[in-house]
Amino acid sequence: MIRKILVVAQKEILDHLRDYRTMLTVLLWGLLAISVIGGMTMLLGANLREQIEKPFTLYVAGMENAPTLLSFLAQQNVVIEPAPPNPKAAVSTGDISIALIIPPEYSEDFSSGKTAAVKLVYDSTRLSAAVDKTRVEKLLETYDYYIGLLRLSVRGVSPEVIRVVQIESVDTATPQSKALAVFSMLPYLTIAVIFSGAAALITDATAGERERESLEPLLINPLPRGWFAIGKMLAAIPLTVLNLLITLASIAILFRVLPMGEMMGVRLGFNAGALTLILLLCLPVVLLASAAQTLVASFTKTVKEANTHLPYIALIVSLPGALLPFLPVKPALWMMLTPILGQQVLMNQILRSEPVSAMNVLIASLGTTLVSVGFTFIAVKFYESERILSR
Amino acid sequence: MIQVQNLSKSFGKIKAVNYVSFSALDGQVTGLLGPNGAGKSTILRMLYTLFKPDEGTAQVDGYDVSRFPLEVKKRIGVLADARGIYPRLTARENIRYYGYLHGVEKGALEKQIDMLIHLLDMQSIADRKAKGFSTGEKLKVAIARALVHNPQNVLLDEPTNGLDVISTRAMRRLILRLKEEGKCILLTSHIMQEVAALCDHIVIISQGNITASGTADELRQLTGQSDLEDAFVSALGVKEEWG
Repeated sequence: MIRKILVVAQKEILDHLRDYRTMLTVLLWGLLAISVIGGMTMLLGANLREQIEKPFTLYVAGMENAPTLLSFLAQQNVVIEPAPPNPKAAVSTGDISIALIIPPEYSEDFSSGKTAAVKLVYDSTRLSAAVDKTRVEKLLETYDYYIGLLRLSVRGVSPEVIRVVQIESVDTATPQSKALAVFSMLPYLTIAVIFSGAAALITDATAGERERESLEPLLINPLPRGWFAIGKMLAAIPLTVLNLLITLASIAILFRVLPMGEMMGVRLGFNAGALTLILLLCLPVVLLASAAQTLVASFTKTVKEANTHLPYIALIVSLPGALLPFLPVKPALWMMLTPILGQQVLMNQILRSEPVSAMNVLIASLGTTLVSVGFTFIAVKFYESERILSR
Repeated sequence: MIQVQNLSKSFGKIKAVNYVSFSALDGQVTGLLGPNGAGKSTILRMLYTLFKPDEGTAQVDGYDVSRFPLEVKKRIGVLADARGIYPRLTARENIRYYGYLHGVEKGALEKQIDMLIHLLDMQSIADRKAKGFSTGEKLKVAIARALVHNPQNVLLDEPTNGLDVISTRAMRRLILRLKEEGKCILLTSHIMQEVAALCDHIVIISQGNITASGTADELRQLTGQSDLEDAFVSALGVKEEWG
């Protein structure tokens, strides 16, 4: 009997290896993985370095009013340029990202020891302006504090009087976790690959079978009807695993070819071992994807109808991953028991080079497998009922 | 051999098949004749175990369709109303798939496939992918895969539907050949002439009920009509209007 299930699976695989769309999808996912991860790494890495190392140009109106301030800024690697005649217009058209306006009364207020006002002009809807604004503000605060200290010292007051609390930051982020901005894409991508890899095969083997009127004759063959559903699910598994393998391998190759670590300015805990672990971790999800999609597609009449329903599954499964940033850091039992969420949390741990608990892997794998068995059971029952023909 | 006793099936409130009884013997062609929607296909679907009867029994070579569906399916070859084949597989691969599903041993299977390809005169399409096959070519594949396990009982749902005259005659020759081999053949049709030309035993069905049965001659006598078409219409017991 097992042999006959394999006959069904084998036929579906042969059938789909001849379908150029199936193979195209597999290759496209590999390319997509490379371009998303590679592209993001390069962009992010380049961005970070540029903003930190590049001398920063500040456009100033009223330069003559604050020579001390400007020489302080010049010492901090800031290039001072005279602002255009109308700084506000120049900022709102995007010619310059930020301008500092020093009013004529600054000089007098400063000399007489009063609080002297300066103006920063920027457009908060421009992301690049936010970085510049933070940088200028920080420099101005430093100058403010520095001059303040001098003034207090001159008057014989200890500077500690105005320093009520001193903040010492201890950042526990490792270089690896800084690179996570890029790798947070990987769990999403992996799940997306699993749920799209064999979608074409599954729709064709279920809804397609109904649409081309080959389902009824097929079911007359002497094996329990539910077994056809199992055979079709099994056929989707090797294709999905192949797809996943190609995606992960193309990422691995990308990291060999490109000096990712240097680009990001950090060392990465991302190697063949981690990729293998991710692959194994995903196997129950492959099961789940194949069972859930077979079930849904079995209820649809045509390939077109199936293609409108399957994307909803992909959306639903991507929801837990979207919650990830809001969840507590420590993996909890309920997370491990939630299919896909558990695997995504664990994948994140692997990428962070954190120790992964074998118990959690076991719970997540078992939970997901059980849910898949549930879906399979419903699909088998559906194939055994008369409704499979009347729909 | 196929035996049907008091077979009934309803879909919701509609009684599709109503206490139908008949037998189809080995070495004979039995025809279920009736207008569109009379319940012929529903009877066949119960015989090939896709539908469960609400009441009554049906047996194929002594195996009850409800209790031993797998034994029944091993003993029947079916040309269903739905005749879809797989467009990316060749004709031969389409047939071979069903052979494997029937558990036919590889050596015997290839021999049987070659025999069927020869019998149905489909050498020229045997190793072509089925995409783009004509209706007749598709039907040949569907017939061949139904006979790949050399079944004793052959169920044909409207076997000549949509065929041109050449293909129709070839199909009739095939049915008569199967009869000569001693097989039990049960076919449905709404075409009276076809049934008259082929069948040893005719069962006329109207609105889920058997209204008459017998040989063509017996039906003529029974209804008192000399023309078979008149006999058919008379046996249906319905007014002549668009149904």
